[in-house]
Amino acid sequence: MDGPAIEMRGLGHSYNGSPVLHNIDLTIERGEVFGFLGHNGAGKTTTVNILTTLITPTHGTALVNGYDVITDRRRVNAHIGYLPSEVRMYPHMTARENLTFFAELSGVESPNRAVAETLEYLDCSELADLRVGSFSTGMRQRIGIAQAIVHRPSVLFLDEPTAGLDPAGIRQLRRTILDLNADLGMTVFMNTHQLSEVSKVCTTIGVLNHGELIYKDSMEATMRRFPDEMSLEDIYVRMGGVPA
Amino acid sequence: MRTESRRRILAIAHHEMRAATRSGVLHALLGILIVATAGSVVIASAVYASRLADYQAYRAAAVAGGVTRIAPSPLAPLSLLRGAFEYIEIIGSVIAITLGYLAVSRERANKTLPLLLSRPVSAVELAAGSFIGALGVIATLAAASATVAVLSVGLIGHDWLNLTQVGKLFLAFIAAIVYMATFYSLGAYTAASSKAAANGLMVALGIWLIVVLLLPQIGDTLDADNQIPGGLFAALGLGHDGEVQILQHFATYETVRTSIEAASFAKHFERFAFAMTDVKERYRSLSFPDLLLQVRASIIWILIYAVTLPALMIRAFRKQPSIPQGANQ
Amino acid sequence: MIDTIASQQLLSMRRQRVFVVAMGLFVAMTAAAGALGWSSHQTIVRVYEQAVKLLAAQGQPAPPNPFLLKPELSLLSNMVVYIPLLGALLALLIGHMAISDDGPAGRLVFSRSVSRGDYALGKILGAGIALGLIMLTALAISLFSLVVVNHAVPGLAVLGRLVVFYGLSWLYVMVFALIGMGAALLSRRRSFSLLAALGVWLGFTFAIPQFTSGLRPTESLNPIIDPVGISQRFFEVTALARPISIAEQYKAASGQVLAIVPVESASSTLSHTLPIAVAAALLVAAVIALVRRHDFSRSSYED
Repeated sequence: MDGPAIEMRGLGHSYNGSPVLHNIDLTIERGEVFGFLGHNGAGKTTTVNILTTLITPTHGTALVNGYDVITDRRRVNAHIGYLPSEVRMYPHMTARENLTFFAELSGVESPNRAVAETLEYLDCSELADLRVGSFSTGMRQRIGIAQAIVHRPSVLFLDEPTAGLDPAGIRQLRRTILDLNADLGMTVFMNTHQLSEVSKVCTTIGVLNHGELIYKDSMEATMRRFPDEMSLEDIYVRMGGVPA
Repeated sequence: MRTESRRRILAIAHHEMRAATRSGVLHALLGILIVATAGSVVIASAVYASRLADYQAYRAAAVAGGVTRIAPSPLAPLSLLRGAFEYIEIIGSVIAITLGYLAVSRERANKTLPLLLSRPVSAVELAAGSFIGALGVIATLAAASATVAVLSVGLIGHDWLNLTQVGKLFLAFIAAIVYMATFYSLGAYTAASSKAAANGLMVALGIWLIVVLLLPQIGDTLDADNQIPGGLFAALGLGHDGEVQILQHFATYETVRTSIEAASFAKHFERFAFAMTDVKERYRSLSFPDLLLQVRASIIWILIYAVTLPALMIRAFRKQPSIPQGANQ
Repeated sequence: MIDTIASQQLLSMRRQRVFVVAMGLFVAMTAAAGALGWSSHQTIVRVYEQAVKLLAAQGQPAPPNPFLLKPELSLLSNMVVYIPLLGALLALLIGHMAISDDGPAGRLVFSRSVSRGDYALGKILGAGIALGLIMLTALAISLFSLVVVNHAVPGLAVLGRLVVFYGLSWLYVMVFALIGMGAALLSRRRSFSLLAALGVWLGFTFAIPQFTSGLRPTESLNPIIDPVGISQRFFEVTALARPISIAEQYKAASGQVLAIVPVESASSTLSHTLPIAVAAALLVAAVIALVRRHDFSRSSYED
């Protein structure tokens, strides 16, 4: 399929009349790992909710894989994977049962095989037959990623994926994201306020401040543009990425 | 596309059945229903066995004595299931409401609704899948109940049902499935329509209380003959004709009373199930088509509720926000 | 300290819409019981008038007025059904909310100098006061109904019977408030604990009477118990367990108190009340024990 992976034009959203997202114009090419930065309440999750069709934008358009998130919802859903910020899944079901269920919903031809392959790919086959209710945050996160990729989507949305993880878990997640991008060619859209993550994983970053996109460029260009800054935190502060 | 949609609906149905079979609270409620139902049939069958033995002794004595006109058996084996249907009416409906509530609250509590709806699944498919899954659970429950009933009547009551009786019993259990599925839809509808699903559960239980217990009880209390222990008309020394003549002066009153009863979905189920299981003597002599004709109003009401509530459930599922309100921006 | 916990609980209940609606339903049904009693009165009068006319036309003498066969307080016989249905369910809800609604605040309470015993007693007292107020309201409505129907203020004896009836009803519904509390203390999952308590209520109200007295579930909706099949050996055995069938005991005792069933001795009424009092006492002890061992550091949750 040609064209960008994600395209937003004049995208905006209001909750009960209060605007939280203003006229976002943003294009993310295929194969990118895009880091969407912003403080709490900046509008990152709202953007992901729109792109994953969970909410309908109040104005503007958004295309994922060339399909409109409002008028072509089913086609969008067939091509995306989504990991929400707090992964719970069904505690009374085993990891395998959870994954099989989500694979079936995504129309995977051989759900059992897809689940086994995904668990093996993520190196967590040992969790397959344990009930998710007994899992630690890190284990739940790994199964959460498995559910997001079991149907091999072309675009993967991760909402604050490192929240609640210990340093080892964060390192493992980082490696997984890079592998998914390299091995399976997935475009990754990652919401985060963990700036340290962005420089290690992302190819492009965007900064959202109070619902407005104030910056977007490649990681490489960003580093070149702010050569004097000591860290990404400093760059972020200079761009105004802090609460008013 | 149709095949894909069917696959998704079946996946959700299977998911619903699995969740139900692993829910502790449902196990507890099912336990109460099964013990109570089995108890009612076993107790009734034991009483029946002794009455049947009495009748057979009379019959044998009559035959031995050369009597040619032997009175037919006054016993109706299907009526032994009256208690079973009353338990379905009261406890079965609570179980169904619980199932419906759990279908909604499970997705909310586990925060899996966004995961489901980020897949190519529509709210209608979600509602249809959940409903079919629940129907599977309810049908299994009804089948188990019917098996216990038929075996108890045969093994303990010493009277095996004939084909017509099995047919009528089958229809009564179909009505039981429809009845419980309607309450399932009520539980799912109220939970999906409420911000806090637990409040929806309480609303559904409030409706249950009114529809299943209070309205039929009020209708019964208002019955003119029930005003005095032993019957008002009997106390006045009036026979059936006198009762009919006097009740002609109470046409409006009787209309109000029957309307109160008719407002209860449970009462219609009860009337239909009792007609199919020979509980009321006046139905026993009727042919099957005549029997259906007698209870046509109940059949229509059952169907109206059975269509309306699932429709409301689908509407509530469509309107239900896919992410919790007030969540992160 | 106990009174602080109790008054906090009353305040929090007053702000719960579900509780207010449930209470409204109970009060409405108490009024409905009065209205049904009035309707019953009117029906008997009208049927009697018609019967007199009919019999006169047939040249027969008028029968005695059947209203004289109706006990004075039979007007309230429906309350004997509504208390175990609505009253007990409302109490279940009050008991459930008393524990579950404390949520994370529960642990804050114990960071003060509050003993677990005081906490439990405060909760029980709060539920007791709430249910007491509800019963007082029901008493007032019942009195009003009696005045309207009989066009006279009831005498002291009738008043006494009413007070004893609502006292007994309070004791009965307290059993269910305590069951609601106990279930909420046993399981942190709100819906599970509420439904488990509901299961216990279903068992006491509809299932147990079948085994102890052969009562079908819809017969349990009848204010007057008429045990069937009592002569059979099965029931001779299970009747021994009848004291635990507290719904039956309540109805039997209420029937006596309101004199709507053939009067037995006072000791027999007391023997029906005793199992309810014992159940309430045991449950108070159980709730105190459960509060003592409950882990308040984790709050209850929805599911």
